[in-house]
Amino acid sequence: MRTNNKHIVILALLLTVTVVGCEDFLSVEPRGTLSTEGITTPENVDGLVTAAYAGIGNDEMIGPITSMWVYGSVRSDDAYKGGGGVTDVADINFYEQYNLTQPQQGAGWMHPLTWKNYYKAISRANFAIRSLENLTEDEFPLKTTRIAEMRFLRGHSHFMLKMLFKKIPYIHEDYTNNEILEVSNVEYTNDELWDIIAEDFQFALDNLPPTQPEVGRANQYTAAAYLAKVRLYQAYEQNDQHEVVNINQQKLNEVIDLTQMVIGSMEYSLQPDFAENYLYGFDNGVESIFAIQFSIDDGTSLGRISTVTGLNYPHGAPQYGCCGFHQPSENMVNAFRTDTDGLPLFNTFNDQSVEDYDIDSVPVDPRLDHTVGIDGHPYKYQNDILYSNSWARDPGVYGFFSSMKEQQAADSPGFKKEGPFIGTSVNIDIIRYADVLLMQAEAYIETGQHQLAQPLINEVRNRAAASTGRTQLADGSDPSNYVISEYNSSNSVWTEEFARQALRWERRLEFAMEGPRFFDLVRWGIAEETLNAYLADESLRRSFLNNAEFTAGRDEYYPIPQQEIDFTKGLYQQNPNY
Amino acid sequence: MEKILLSICVFVCVAAFSGTAYAQERTIEGTVTDHLGDPLPGTTVFIKEQPNKGTSTNPDGNYSIEVEEGDILIFSFVGFISKEVEVTDQLTIDVQLQMDTGQLEEIVVVGYSSKKKVDLTGAIETVEMEPITTGTSGNIMQTLQGRVPGLYVEKSGTPSGASSRILIRGVNTLGNNDPLYIIDGVPTKRPEVFQSLSPSTIESIQVLKDAASASVYGSRASNGVIIVTTKDGSRAGGGLDIQLNVSNSVQSERPQRFDMLNAQQRGEALWRASVNDGVSPASGYGEIYTFDWNNDFNNPVLNGVSVNPFVGGNTNVPAGDTDWQEESYDLGQVRNLDFTVSGGNESSSALISVGYVKNTGMLKYTNYDRISARVNAQTRKFDGRLEIGMNSIFSNSNELLQSPDLGSAPTPGLAITLAPTIPVFTNNGEYAGPLGSGYSDRNNPVHMQYINRWDNTNRKNVVGDVYAQIELIPELRLKSTVGVDYSTYRFKNIEQAFTEGFISRSLNTLGLFTNEFMSISWSNTVNYQITTGNNSFQFLAGIEAIQDNFDELIATAENFATQSEEFFVLSAASGTKQSLGTSTSSRLLSQFGKVDYNYDDRYLASLTLRRDGSSRFGDDNRYGFFPSATFGWRINNESFMEEMDEISNLKLRIAAGRVGNQDIGDFASLGLFEARYGPTAANIPGVGSNGFFDQYYNIGTAYDLNGSDSGSLPSGFVSTQGANPALKWENTDELNIGIDFGLLEERVVGSFDYFFRETSDILIRPPVASAVGEGQLRFLNGATKENKGWELSLGYDGGRDKDFTYYVSTSLSRFKDKITKLPEEVRTAFPGNAIKDILGQSELSVFGYRTDGLFQNQAEVDDHASQVGAAPGRIKYVDLNGDGQIDALDQEFIGTTLPGLEYNLNIQLGYKNFDARIFGSGIAGRTGFDPYRFYNNFIRGRDNVGPGVFDAWTPENTDTSIPALTLADSNNETRPSDYLLVNTSYFKIRNVEIGYTLPEDVMSRLGGINRFRVFLKGENLIWFKSSEFNGPDPERVDINQIPVPTTFTVGASISL
Repeated sequence: MRTNNKHIVILALLLTVTVVGCEDFLSVEPRGTLSTEGITTPENVDGLVTAAYAGIGNDEMIGPITSMWVYGSVRSDDAYKGGGGVTDVADINFYEQYNLTQPQQGAGWMHPLTWKNYYKAISRANFAIRSLENLTEDEFPLKTTRIAEMRFLRGHSHFMLKMLFKKIPYIHEDYTNNEILEVSNVEYTNDELWDIIAEDFQFALDNLPPTQPEVGRANQYTAAAYLAKVRLYQAYEQNDQHEVVNINQQKLNEVIDLTQMVIGSMEYSLQPDFAENYLYGFDNGVESIFAIQFSIDDGTSLGRISTVTGLNYPHGAPQYGCCGFHQPSENMVNAFRTDTDGLPLFNTFNDQSVEDYDIDSVPVDPRLDHTVGIDGHPYKYQNDILYSNSWARDPGVYGFFSSMKEQQAADSPGFKKEGPFIGTSVNIDIIRYADVLLMQAEAYIETGQHQLAQPLINEVRNRAAASTGRTQLADGSDPSNYVISEYNSSNSVWTEEFARQALRWERRLEFAMEGPRFFDLVRWGIAEETLNAYLADESLRRSFLNNAEFTAGRDEYYPIPQQEIDFTKGLYQQNPNY
Repeated sequence: MEKILLSICVFVCVAAFSGTAYAQERTIEGTVTDHLGDPLPGTTVFIKEQPNKGTSTNPDGNYSIEVEEGDILIFSFVGFISKEVEVTDQLTIDVQLQMDTGQLEEIVVVGYSSKKKVDLTGAIETVEMEPITTGTSGNIMQTLQGRVPGLYVEKSGTPSGASSRILIRGVNTLGNNDPLYIIDGVPTKRPEVFQSLSPSTIESIQVLKDAASASVYGSRASNGVIIVTTKDGSRAGGGLDIQLNVSNSVQSERPQRFDMLNAQQRGEALWRASVNDGVSPASGYGEIYTFDWNNDFNNPVLNGVSVNPFVGGNTNVPAGDTDWQEESYDLGQVRNLDFTVSGGNESSSALISVGYVKNTGMLKYTNYDRISARVNAQTRKFDGRLEIGMNSIFSNSNELLQSPDLGSAPTPGLAITLAPTIPVFTNNGEYAGPLGSGYSDRNNPVHMQYINRWDNTNRKNVVGDVYAQIELIPELRLKSTVGVDYSTYRFKNIEQAFTEGFISRSLNTLGLFTNEFMSISWSNTVNYQITTGNNSFQFLAGIEAIQDNFDELIATAENFATQSEEFFVLSAASGTKQSLGTSTSSRLLSQFGKVDYNYDDRYLASLTLRRDGSSRFGDDNRYGFFPSATFGWRINNESFMEEMDEISNLKLRIAAGRVGNQDIGDFASLGLFEARYGPTAANIPGVGSNGFFDQYYNIGTAYDLNGSDSGSLPSGFVSTQGANPALKWENTDELNIGIDFGLLEERVVGSFDYFFRETSDILIRPPVASAVGEGQLRFLNGATKENKGWELSLGYDGGRDKDFTYYVSTSLSRFKDKITKLPEEVRTAFPGNAIKDILGQSELSVFGYRTDGLFQNQAEVDDHASQVGAAPGRIKYVDLNGDGQIDALDQEFIGTTLPGLEYNLNIQLGYKNFDARIFGSGIAGRTGFDPYRFYNNFIRGRDNVGPGVFDAWTPENTDTSIPALTLADSNNETRPSDYLLVNTSYFKIRNVEIGYTLPEDVMSRLGGINRFRVFLKGENLIWFKSSEFNGPDPERVDINQIPVPTTFTVGASISL
């Protein structure tokens, strides 16, 4: 027994010795991540700038911030939601019906997520600015340029938010997280908010070089064009009911100067063929002033492709498959009709339903075949694969037309089908040169210089007239009867009133299905009259629109997402009549 | 692996050869019989002062042992009360053992120590193992369903038993509600470890329900603790014991199927709905059906509907009349095999067990198989003062469960909803799919299962420990245990390229998602027992260190030239390859102590203290302190009870304690930044908005600044988490009051427990205003919850000592939680509206509208509050706030998805060699979604529906609850309301089992067989449900899960 005891004592001692608690045991460092100090170094700060650029392209089908097909196109008289009936992504149906006051809206997708995604982009830009400001020019020679780029990006996101929601909190780089939660969306008046956003672009304009080695970055002209856009929207002064109460001449003069800076630079021009704005291989071409960059085969799993319009490909076509969203309205298709002189049918364009005339033979603007998929016409410039009515997903509800501009043919190197949906690596243009021309034209018209607007509009129309090379059928003939001409004294009387009508029509045709339509209507103060007139006719053709009605003083803007109001304990003020 | 094998070898060898012989005086013999006078083979017989000197009875109940005069012999057998007999001058000692029906003397593991059940003062449930050991699913968690009061189990019919969850006393926190499992002393929070155990290898399961019982486990015990002890060789009682269990089951989901329309019927329903909407049915469905009707919307008459002969007009695809459930499911088979060998002598014992389960799955191409092995061994030296042992469990499982289609819709749901006009195959024998207009973008479920047939999820688990225990002086024991919880996970996902109708995938991919988890725990404890007079003390002190490491590696590759199972390896791809990985770690360091006090077997008390440090919290808040105190009064041992013979046991228990929770990210208190080159939101949990669309949501930091469109991109960094240095422990405090009783010599036994618990400083990661920006969410100590309830169990043991025996038991339990404190800005993340919030409600509350039948005519619509979409035949929603309009404010809390009451009934019968068991359990007071109502009462343009749509409201058919058919649903009738959220209570006869044990004379002729039992068992046989629930099975509330099957099993159990 004594021996046993000795063994046991030794074993017990061994145990006791090894039982030692150690405080260091509880210190575990995170892996694969960095602290704030680690990333705000001169070596890493350019990565924050890159990440901020990535931020303006980081969106999703159900929370878009790049393409405005939902907010600007479906919500206007250009397009229907499409897809499989009204309940398929019901969130968009509610927009189309101007019905955002009913409880239990869809799945909470779209505008609440868009709000969130823009503020994500803003936070990336602000973090980069904060980090850049902590460095000296010696440590980081590009400091000022990069800050200017970041303020440009921050301005872009705030501008987009303002178009959608009107009253938004403006987030400055100096705010802490707690301070951000104290920033109201009514801290500034409407006009002050425009000025604050404009300041970012002005800073960019003053500090950016005329050209940048990387085409994806903002430069001086990009800033000038964007500032012109801000001032153009600002010029149409709105009251609290969103009515346009005054058109500010001084702001319009700024628009003229700023657009002239871009035009006069000779750095940009229209693409020879309208199609090139919508085709792979022409990214960052002469017409692209500012674009969100997308890429493919870049080491990411899908590629940094854009899938924001991934639901919009034709449904029945075997090479595409899904899901038939974003279908052109009859009203918009009719808007492409021209008279025998090649001018729009300003007053009678919508008198007939498309079923009552032969779309292949009536005179039309050639941009129709760049914009709309029509039975028997080449789809996306492929004359061996014609669009077929059988590709339409739910023709009983949404008709047979299909959208084309945002899509790529299935054999394009920029095309990627993933699951049922499709993405493309083609950039999304935010401002292209045609927009600069038409912004200047609009500013001339609204400042009583409508004569100066005519050549600008004609430049756009002449390019359209020349853009028939890619839309031909296999036998070399045109699928439609293209009749288009510029405005001249032999076919029209260029009064201010006529010029305004011509400008607005031109914008609709040039940017059809690209998204600006709804925002144009609100800017001009004619959303209610235009859209209710549209609905009166269109609902006779499309019964799903039977109950749709646009309410002035409310439907010009989205409601501030309720959860944002809740998260700030009611600090944000809701838009009127929601 | 080799190391493990080596250590197994060592222990088996140690166990086999370390017996030592001692000198003897004389031999004594005898026979041990049970309460009926039958021989009791395998009874352990040993000398009290020399526990290593013992033997066990042979098949005839006989034994012989060398003794000295004055020795005390102890006879013990599980389930019987041990008996001590002093050796005088006899040569023969015959003993009759009495059955320990109340199991009062049973030893219960309560956390680093054990106790007699009769001395327990907390709410600790001992699970009766016998009915569980012959389960068919092979999933221990599913078998526990309904058996343990206070333990709530939800399950699905997936072959592996995945998607089951277990809750002890309901939901206590807002995050993870998984209990802590202690498997042979090794702690783990991973339910899959528990689920991988073979039920027949489990010796005992104890459930520590209240905080006082669990507090010795401290920080991880806030959701209760489940202690599992597996069998070891000590039961063999010195001999060699061989046990073989085999069973074979057939499973069918047929009783759980939804009745759906056939091709022709669906056309009729679509016609009616279109006409109601004023839309020509041909405009929406003309490509699928030809409608012959009078084209008069005011007075529509249908002459006939015919299915167009070809899908999408493709002559290669003749239209089908497919019953997708029939096509998607087959009978499933489950084979179970368990083989156990155990043996030992006076000082050593070992057990080796191998188990195999194979489930062929009812849903085509699903399957599950698991092989598991266990080695438990221990040996004692120096008169038993040193004990060294090990427990180890290894399991390897492969599973293929339901697959998602291209749009991520799982196949069980597709089998219900896909249009019947799509055939399974085209004329070419290829899988058919939607084609042409009028169809949804969903895939053929049989095809989806088929093309995913090479997918596999492999899991390997090793759980075990090695320990040494030293008795330094009598009753002072030091124990050191090193435990391991190790697992690997490997999901092989082959996405084949295919074309099916208008849906296709052009590029095939292989994804390998692997991770490795390793948790090492080391605990050292000291136990000391001292008895002076009527005072008895038990002391426990210990420290424990736990280190968890988790590493994840994801590799994907695209574009494989050939689509064969063998070709899908990463290197064979010719397209883009990508790899992602993460690594994380956490640690816990704890000290704990416990004192138990027993005065004269009348007054019991205990005090526990535990202090835990966690690496997950900041330096200032690292440690949590978890005390508990309990008191017990064994009233029946008081002198004033002596006269009351009918009361055999009466005990009052009061326990109060605190436990903690640290279930947050490993680095939750820190602000973090990451380089995210190009992931989508689907790659990083918690970033996206919607599971499916997340794969198309760029969240990266790389950007094509150069406009080169491809190649390597410049990239940067992004914030992923906001810092909160003040983050600290979440605490749960609980008071438990209980009473245990036994009447009529323990023929009637029961217990009642009441508990009240409050969880405060709940760890939440609340959403914040988006303006704060990206990656700024952080963990906070926010909410407070209350949870209270009770459990009652009763058992009656009748017909003892007769040919006919029976045992009846029942239990009822109730738990109800409510949120009592929640930061204001977080409340919108929970059900509620501007005037009613979740405060005072259960976290699992359902919120919605109240309905009041259908509008019968325009006058009723006009009289009613203004309701968008109201019309005759539409659902009428109640204007709860009386403001004359139906809006978001007209909602209220309708109920909770957790039941208010859970109950069971267990009947065991025995007649001679026959035995039978009936077990049923049910729940009451649960509200939930009725998926069949959704598909039977509403028409859907893209999905198939049930025949209920033919009873829809029309001006002629007004006596119905089914609203007029519409494809537009302008009344928004699928909104949450009591129309779809109904009473989902049920009672199920879960098990009926009949067994037959071969009589001894037959067995003796077979030779060497101790016991041979065959049985027949049916599961999920009959159920009763609320009339509000229209679906076939209230346990099927999610159509995307494989239904819980009805099962028939035949099996045998043999002991050698």
